[in-house]
Amino acid sequence: MTIPRDQRNSVSEIAARTAIESHEAEQVAAPLAGAVAAAPPESVFRRRLRKFRRIKRGYYSFLLIATAYILSFLLPLAVNSTALVVSYQGDYYVPIWRYYPASTFGQAAFGEPDYRALQAELAQAGAGDWVLMPPYPYSPNESLLDQPGYPPHPPSRQHFLGTDDRGRDVLVRLTYGFNVSLTFALLVMLIADGLGVTIGSLLGYVSGTLDLLGQRVIEIWSSLPFLYTIIIVSSIVVPVYVPGRMQIMQPSFWLLVIILSAFEWMGITYYIRGEFYREKAKDYVAAAIVTGVSEPAIMFRHILPNALTPVISFAPFTIVANIGALVALDFLGFGLPAPTPSWGELIGQGMENLTKWWLVFFPLGALFTTLLLVVFIGEAVREAFDPKEYSRLR
Amino acid sequence: MTTATDTSDVILDLQDLRVRFPVFGGIIPRKTSEVRAVDGVSLTLRRGETVGLVGESGCGKTTVGRAIVNILRKMTYRVDIEGRIVYHHPSGAVDLASLGQRQMRRYRPDLQMVFQDPYSSLNPRMTVGAIVEEPLRIHTRQTKAERRDRVRWLLEKVRLSPEHATRYPHEFSGGQRQRIGIARALATNPKIVIADEPVSALDVSIQAQVINLMQDLQEEFGLSYIFISHDLSVVRHIANRICVMYFGRIVEEGPAEEIYLRPQHPYSKTLLAAVPRPDPDRRR
Repeated sequence: MTIPRDQRNSVSEIAARTAIESHEAEQVAAPLAGAVAAAPPESVFRRRLRKFRRIKRGYYSFLLIATAYILSFLLPLAVNSTALVVSYQGDYYVPIWRYYPASTFGQAAFGEPDYRALQAELAQAGAGDWVLMPPYPYSPNESLLDQPGYPPHPPSRQHFLGTDDRGRDVLVRLTYGFNVSLTFALLVMLIADGLGVTIGSLLGYVSGTLDLLGQRVIEIWSSLPFLYTIIIVSSIVVPVYVPGRMQIMQPSFWLLVIILSAFEWMGITYYIRGEFYREKAKDYVAAAIVTGVSEPAIMFRHILPNALTPVISFAPFTIVANIGALVALDFLGFGLPAPTPSWGELIGQGMENLTKWWLVFFPLGALFTTLLLVVFIGEAVREAFDPKEYSRLR
Repeated sequence: MTTATDTSDVILDLQDLRVRFPVFGGIIPRKTSEVRAVDGVSLTLRRGETVGLVGESGCGKTTVGRAIVNILRKMTYRVDIEGRIVYHHPSGAVDLASLGQRQMRRYRPDLQMVFQDPYSSLNPRMTVGAIVEEPLRIHTRQTKAERRDRVRWLLEKVRLSPEHATRYPHEFSGGQRQRIGIARALATNPKIVIADEPVSALDVSIQAQVINLMQDLQEEFGLSYIFISHDLSVVRHIANRICVMYFGRIVEEGPAEEIYLRPQHPYSKTLLAAVPRPDPDRRR
């Protein structure tokens, strides 16, 4: 019953007939295909990124926030009471890099020299010595009580946004607070999402009993009131402020990051779990199993990249939520220990000093602007990463 | 096709294969009933032969294909598989149905699969090169350069340009994607290829290309195909023998032309009557 070769090759009548047309169609399509081939290959992610860049409002918000955040790490160079360079009696000193006792510069005090006073002093002496101060020469934890009257002082030429109730410059505390808030939000997101994605992937991929039990555990865990837990934890572990360390290197900062992460990872598991259920039924996973790809590789190399859309589209909103959480905790006094520069603490001061408008408007304005910009980013990301678009393109 | 009847020619032998999927229900999910997707299928495949498996959707033909490549247990929770899937490996016959994933690994290169939906069967996040290369990375000890050469060669074999290796699946048409799927299946020099409705998601004009390509490749590499389809007119041309499946059983089996021209079982007749005739004036 061997089928003659010529007949086998002709396939079905329908196909044979249309084959000629298709051949023509392909010839027409050939130059077109060539044109497509000239463009560089583009992954789905890059395509979405390009789309994100086209959404101007979100993209510019992103550039603005990202630039501001990166620059905020250089704050000690721009907003600080420690001098950058001192030229004193023929020698050069770099106080921003090394610590010098006050006696080095002939000041009769212990500890850190008062560089602003030193600057004025040396300028008056006129011996060719000089001090190079940062453009805005005030530190976040420094009480400036040399002004007339009692703090809080209203905005002035020295202190653009005024000072708070302990005489600390509001602008300085806001800028440092921006770095602290955003670092906090990013870290919490990183840890919480990392945990949530791993657990969600496992539940979704393994499914069965593990999924059933895991889901129940997550439900119980999410019903724990997070604020009470924070209050309890912070009453057991006394938050300490280690002087002379960067804000984000404080142990209390990390304690708060870990506590908040522990209460935030559940949300994303539901999405990742769902994505895994959907993706693992697709043929490319079957193909990977047929190929003999190992289990972890199927999970993390094949399915996970296809399941990450919710993580990316939620990221900006997670950041908003995290900043909000930190501000709320600081406002209530359970957040970062004093004197960490924090927005929540400033907003709290604003509420206590409602007549001091600079303590009300500037912290709230900074918070509002930041959150608004991040929400703009979120909108654009959501639109650019809409998975429906490409599945419709079939 | 050789018409030898001696068993030495048989490469795959299904013996009374039964697959049951559990149905879960209740507040605390437990098995409440089951679906008999495959209910006693016996089938032999000889070297270089193409067996067509035809039937309506839901008759269990895809499940048979997936049982052969042993992915059901991994893809479905608590599936029940009985019967034997005997694969005649040069080193002796093995029952694939009894193998775990680890033991199966050794035979994976010999049994490959081409999937129905060319849109979901390729990972959208991987380049074509990475997709075709993956089986090589797992089953061979080739160096990076060797693998790259082999990928280029494979892409040429399925009539794609080797330059396409750096592109992503969404940049290709359905027919091209299906050919990428074929290239992936061929990467490890398989003996048996299960083609699960490889052309039913494609335009009729593209179907011809893909089927011709599959026939050419069969001749070149000496492949044995199990060609699953619901379209008798397609199967007729590629298959040497046709098995008609209905409700998990094979109701009729015979040479392709025989089944196509003189179906015996009432279901085969119905199935055949459903094939559209290209020319209404011409009699079948």
